[in-house]
Formats: sequence, structure tokens, C-alpha cells
Amino acid sequence: MLVFAISDKGGTGRSVTGTNIVYRHALQGNDVCYLDFDFGSPTAGAIFSVSAVARGAPENGLHEYLRGDCTQPRRVDVWAESDREALRTRPPGAGRLVLLPGTESGGELSAFTDEVVNRCAQLFGRLEEEFDLCMVDVSAGRSFTAELVLAATARLPAIPFRWLVFHRWTRQHIIAADGLVTGADGLLDVGARLGHDREDLHDRIRFVRTAVLEPDAAELVGLRDEQRAWLSACDGELRELARRHGVGRTAMLGKVPLDPVLQWREQLITDEDVLASKIANAETAAAFDELAKKIVDDSAWEGL
Amino acid sequence: MLAMGEVHTGLLQNSGEISESTCRQVLGLMAGETVRVSRRPIPHALSPERLTGVDCALPSASRSRIRGVGTVVSRCAVTGGRVAQGSSYVRVVRSEADRRLPWSHYLSRPGVVEVLGKAKAADLAEGFVGDPAPGCLDMGAISGRFLDLVQASPLLDRRAPFRIPRTSLRWVAETGEPSIRFTLHTEQERTLRLTHPGPFTPAVVDLCEDLATHDWLLTSLLIIVERARIGATPGAQAVARLAPAIDHLLHLWMPAARVEEWLRPFWESLERQPGFTRQWRSLVDRVRDQIATSTLALLSAATEAGRR
Amino acid sequence: MTPVHATFGEVAAERRIASVPLSHVSVELGHLYMEDFEAGPGRLREQFRKVAPWLATVRALWRERVPGGRARVSTCFLIDDYFSRFSTPAELVPMVLEAAAEHDLTIDYLARESACAESDGVELARLVEDRLVDDPPPDTDGSRPPVKETGWLCNGARSPRTTPVQAMGKARPWEPPVQNAKRGHSIFVDVELWDEKGSRRTWSCPFLAAVWQLLRLGLLRSEGRVPLPPVTLDGGWPRDWDALPAVVRLNPQATPFSAYTTLSVLSPRFLPVELAVRTILSQVAVDDEVLRQVATRSENEGIGLEEELVDRISYVFV
Repeated sequence: MLVFAISDKGGTGRSVTGTNIVYRHALQGNDVCYLDFDFGSPTAGAIFSVSAVARGAPENGLHEYLRGDCTQPRRVDVWAESDREALRTRPPGAGRLVLLPGTESGGELSAFTDEVVNRCAQLFGRLEEEFDLCMVDVSAGRSFTAELVLAATARLPAIPFRWLVFHRWTRQHIIAADGLVTGADGLLDVGARLGHDREDLHDRIRFVRTAVLEPDAAELVGLRDEQRAWLSACDGELRELARRHGVGRTAMLGKVPLDPVLQWREQLITDEDVLASKIANAETAAAFDELAKKIVDDSAWEGL
Repeated sequence: MLAMGEVHTGLLQNSGEISESTCRQVLGLMAGETVRVSRRPIPHALSPERLTGVDCALPSASRSRIRGVGTVVSRCAVTGGRVAQGSSYVRVVRSEADRRLPWSHYLSRPGVVEVLGKAKAADLAEGFVGDPAPGCLDMGAISGRFLDLVQASPLLDRRAPFRIPRTSLRWVAETGEPSIRFTLHTEQERTLRLTHPGPFTPAVVDLCEDLATHDWLLTSLLIIVERARIGATPGAQAVARLAPAIDHLLHLWMPAARVEEWLRPFWESLERQPGFTRQWRSLVDRVRDQIATSTLALLSAATEAGRR
Repeated sequence: MTPVHATFGEVAAERRIASVPLSHVSVELGHLYMEDFEAGPGRLREQFRKVAPWLATVRALWRERVPGGRARVSTCFLIDDYFSRFSTPAELVPMVLEAAAEHDLTIDYLARESACAESDGVELARLVEDRLVDDPPPDTDGSRPPVKETGWLCNGARSPRTTPVQAMGKARPWEPPVQNAKRGHSIFVDVELWDEKGSRRTWSCPFLAAVWQLLRLGLLRSEGRVPLPPVTLDGGWPRDWDALPAVVRLNPQATPFSAYTTLSVLSPRFLPVELAVRTILSQVAVDDEVLRQVATRSENEGIGLEEELVDRISYVFV
């Protein structure tokens, strides 16, 4: 299964949520890999705490692979190479957790040729033989990268894939997330141009809300009644807006609560962060765990 | 001088094993050429051979610059309708000329790479099974692409019963006093050095492909058994994780099935040390014991329930 | 009991390659396109007038070369029914034969160009396309798939693309294409093999001409069998090109259609086409079993053949 992570705008927490989903999926006993296709800023290594590739791989990163400058992109075994003590041993029963970093100082794609699409398709095909889940971080907004992966998956009709669109729970983000999918030259338009079936592609897209502050959250206990009422009204309006834009509950795969840890530092949330040091909220870890299950649960992906 | 090649082996990306006729279509890599199929003792289909032109440095242990020009032979195979391979090899010979000749010269010698200038066989052999520098002849990449070609066939449903990595076997064969050395490197990389009596024939390639198939089977079964975490997880769960091995792998073990008589002793010596079949049997026994125990537990639970 | 030695064979696991009878040389007396036909029988007579002395020369040369002087020379004529359809066999063939007879030329075999693309369910063009092995520019190490412009074949390395694929990346300055086997300077040739409109593929004239050369050299096999063996026509010439066999034997006494070598007598306007044909043929990998058969046969006859395929093909441009 290939999963493409995209967001309407920057700063949605797409990368940190994507990496945490992958991490949880590995803990659930699956072999997983994470491909850093955020070519303008390949920093997934930092989230996995692999300092050797914190800003991308010095050589043989995904940029070089797609350009044709190396035959195999570098693979980082997170269980072996992470600097974080809590990640450095593979928990019993966990699957492989592999990162394919971008290239240090690599830039966004400015064009792509048929050969680049072929190399991308070859990479996806081979990884899919080996891993239960391959998550591809496609960066924010309309980009050549998004077009590239749409072109590559159109050449691999038998390989299952899904898209996750990350957005924050605000007016602008909801509208933009819908626009990215259904707007002119959005995912569906471009996908259809490249040979995907529009309806089928639409069925493979779900939304994930990030940094969500629920009106009944513990954080809001100290608020005045007026503030709480206002928040509740806002939330109601947003829900209505989301529904109108096709970003509502039925198209949503899950939501991740606002967690101070993720706001301050993009990192994987381990059970130790929740139970021992208690810096992260249990709800956050539970949300990731839930998403990691739903991503492969076909009942969550039935046609809309 | 010597022959060298690289075999990539992986699980065919299909939910079940494929039939002989599907095999023929999947492996029909060249119009007008027949896919060769043998049915005994295990179904085995071999694609027509295709050539790839190369003009590049050859791997050398001493890191000297040795230029070779010629063609690499590649082919794909499917064993038991289940295991797919991409395999490439060349025979390296000294060129009679000291410069590159017209391309048609090399085309009339398929599978031969001619060395321009000086080169020692031992240097090349060690360089190839060692750690070849980038920019050197890369038969692994060629074999990988040939395996991709099979895996991307529209006749396959891509719903393989389990995820498993490919393995690669890089081999070098020379003429001389018989000896064989099989080495495991990383989890997926193996090398083989072979010295055989008499001149090189394609039967040597068959032997290497046969060894690669069986090494992949063993490697994959080990991974599946490890994933099942026998003893650490409830019996039924472990059995569920072992099931794909029973359905898809256990019947494929057929050592030296396609190896010519004169090369059998090489397989036999590997059976003594490290003992491929010995390890395979012990794993198979473990899988079967686990299933037997689990079945017994289920049965006695059922009987217990019936008595109550 | 003594050990029993068992032998086990499976027919489907073996590879069998038929052999083909061979002349010493196959001479192409002409190649008829619609424009030649439209120019009237005069053009054809002119062509045969020019060819006749060359055919005599070739016969003489081979008589000297072959022990005992028993040279096997067969002649053939190709009619284009692929790029444009004109006239009918019933109308055209007798006219061609008549014009040839005026110059004492015997056409042994007549072939249709479309047969080089596909005939009798055998796609000869596909067969040859799959046997193309690109001439590798230096530093081709196999790590990347051969650089291909789909439907094209060249004799070297094309100009690298100059636009960067990465935002804020460096653009490369223009570089010229390079011929692989250049002597000092390049003569870079890039040949279009086919084009496609929708799902219909049209093979290019040089590509079909390359197939035609391989057919005449007896170097093609389909499933191990010899494709398009010459057929003797019973009855008259059909009214439809499709009803005409791919290769027709006109002369019952003719030596075999295929030959060790070929000679084509052509108008100089075909020069660029034949350069393209040689570019293609120098990158076709003929089955080595077939090559071995031909080599053994010629050696047994005491005839040394050029090792390389393209050197077995010669031309007279008149």
C-alpha cells in the first residue's frame, strides 16, 4: 500500500503526523517505510532523530535517485540509526521502520521527464513488494512532486494507493483543502489528465484534521463561559463549512488533537513520552495509533 | 578469463501461483522467441535472453581502471509459479584490439565483455564479489530491472500473500581446481565464488540461479518464522502468520533440480557446509510443530467444551 | 544391481532452430514505390537497364570466388504496398516482369513490403525491434536503462537536456550529440523507427528495409521457424495485394531466396535510407544459434564470410 501525504498549506503538521502514523504502524507489527518527497525541505530525518540525515542525506538521497544520479536511494533503518534512545531498539513484535531521506540541499522539482516518472514508478513498485505500508510525504500545495506521484501511480494500476490530505481546523484551511482536491488543476483534475479515473481517485482521498482543539478539551477548562460558547459556535460553523466543502466527517479519516509537544518540537511520540516523562498527551498517541489502523482498514475507505 | 553475474530473486507479485500458460506470457520478453518450460521435478519457466550493451570500467579489487566493452545477457525465470528471478551475466575475455571496435563486432559475441588493455582475472573476481565502486559494470541494476519487468506484468494481480525483500546473489566463476565459497553479506546480499573444472558453460548460470532460489526461500522462511514470534504470541496468532509460508513456500524446496550432473558436487558440498537443506528442514519442522500444537490445543478446547 | 543411468528430457524445455537454404548472394534488382509506378513503365525499364551490367558483374565475381564456379545467385524485387497502395498485382506484376525481360533479367522472387511489417500472423518488424541492442556510449555501466527516445534509434549519445529538474538548480550549457565510433568528428544519425497515431503504429521505411535485409540474409526466426518461406503461385495474379503471398517464387529454377550476402542496386535517392538501415542493422543482435548455422555452412563450402552483419550487405547506387 502506498499512502501519499499532502497538505493544502504549509505548517499543518503533515510531516510530523505522517511520521507518527508510520511509526505506530510499525509498532503494530508491519514493515513500513517513509519517503521524504518534500523536496524543497527534506527534513524527515530530524523527526526520526537520525542526525546523519537530519537535513537530508549528504549523498544518494531521493533527489539524486530521481535525477538518475544514483541507482538505489539510501535507506535508513530507524531502529538502528536513530539517536533517540527510545527508538534505537526495535520493540518486540514491531516491523521494520525505514526512512528514505531526500538529498541535503536538494530543491523542489521544477519539471519532470518521462525518465523521472519511470524511476519513481520503479521505486514505488519495488518498495511495495517489500513493505506493508509506504508513506510518501508529498509536501504542501500544488507541486511538480504531486504531479509526479500521480503520473507514477497511473503507471502502476495494480498497486493500491491512498491519499491523505492534512489540514488544520480553520476556515482558510478547510477551503484550501477542498480546493487542493477538487479545485481547478487540483489532485482530481491532474490525476484524470494523467490517466486516473476521477471517481476512483476521489474514493482514495481522505482528510486528516491536525492540531484540533475540541470544545470539551482539558486545555479549555480555565476558560470563561463566554469564550467557551464562542468556541463552540465557531466549531459548529466550521463543521457546516467542512460539510459543504466535502471535507466533513464522512471524508475524514481521523483527527489529531493539539499537543504542545508537537507545537514546540516535531518528533515521534513514543509511549515513553506519554507514560514516563508525560510530556505528550495520551490522546495524541491514541489518535496516531487509530490513524495507523484506519489507514489500512478498508471499511474506513468505502466509497463516499 | 572468467564469468560473472548477478541474480535477483523475489516473490512473484501475485496472490497465488501462476499457471504455465500465464508464465509463458509473463516471460515472453521477445517477440518470436519461445519461453522454455520444464515441469519436472518442479515447474520452471525461463524467458528468452536479452542483451544490454555496456562500455565501462570493470570492478577491480586494486581499483585499477579496466575498460570493458560488450553485451550482458539477461533473462527472467519463474519457479513453481511463485518465485521470480532476474539474472544477468557476462564472460570476460581479453580483446585482441586495443581500442573499441564497431558495435556489430560485440553483437556477434553475445554475453561477452572484452577487456581493453591489461587485467588480471583474480583482480576482477575479487573486485566483483567485493565492493564494486560506483560507475563500474552494474549487473545488479540490470537484473533488478529485468525482475521489475516480470513484477510489472499486467497479468499479475500484485496482491502477494506477504511482503518480503528481494535478495541478490553476485557470482564469479573461473576454471580451475573445484571449489565454492558462498558468503552472506547484509540481510539481502550474497556472493558466490566458484572454480569449476573445464570451460564455462551456461550450466554454471543455472547452478547460480538454483542456489539463489534456494537461498531466497531459506531467507524468506526465516523472516516469516521470525515475524510469527512463536512462543511470544498466542498460538493461533503465530499460526496465522505462518500460514502464507505453508501455502506458498514449503513445497518449493527442490535443491539442484536444474543443475547438470557435473555441477551437482558443488551443491552437495554446500549441503555439508553450511547445510542449506538441514536448516530448511529444521525450519519446516518448526512451522509444522507449531501448527500441530495449535491444532491440538484447539481440538482439546473443543472436546473440553463438548464435555461440559 | 548396477546403478542405472537415467536420462530425462522435456521438449518444451529445449530450443530448436530451423535452418534455411542459402544462396551465395541475393541481388535486389529494384524497389518499386508509387511514384515510380506513376512515372510509367519507362522509369522501370530505365532501372533495369542500369541494373543489368551490375548483375552480370556480381555473377562473375561469385563464380571466381566459389570453388568449382557454381555460384548461387538469386534475384528479387520489392513492391511497396505498405506506405501506399496502388494498382493490383494482376496489373502490375506482369508489367514489371516484362520490363525486366527486355533487359534479359530474370526476377526469381517477388516480395511485398508490408510483409516486412506483418504477414501470416508473424510480426517481423516487432521481432526485429525486440532484437535491437543499443550501441552504448562510453561509461554505460548498466546502472541506468539505455537512454531511449521512444521510437528512435541513434548511433551515439544525444545532446543532454539543458533545463534543470530541480528548482533553483543549475541549467547545463548545450552540448552536441556524439557518435560512438567517431573518427575525429561525429556523424550523428538518429533514425525514426516508427510513429503511432492512436494505437496504430506505422513502421518507418528504413526500419522495414532493415527487416528486408535480415529476411534476405536468412537471419530471422519466429518460434524457431523460418518466417515467410517463398511460395509458388498457382493460377494467375490476384486482384488484391493482401491475397498475394509475402514472398513469391517466380522462377522454378531459382537458387534459394536467402543468401550469405546481399547486393542492392538502387537509385542514389535511397542513400539516406540505407545509411539509416546500416545504423539499425549494426544494432540488431541476431540469434547466435542462427549465426552459427550460417557460419558453419559457409565454412563447409569454403567461403569466408565477413564476421559482422553490416559487412555482408553491399550496394550499387546508380
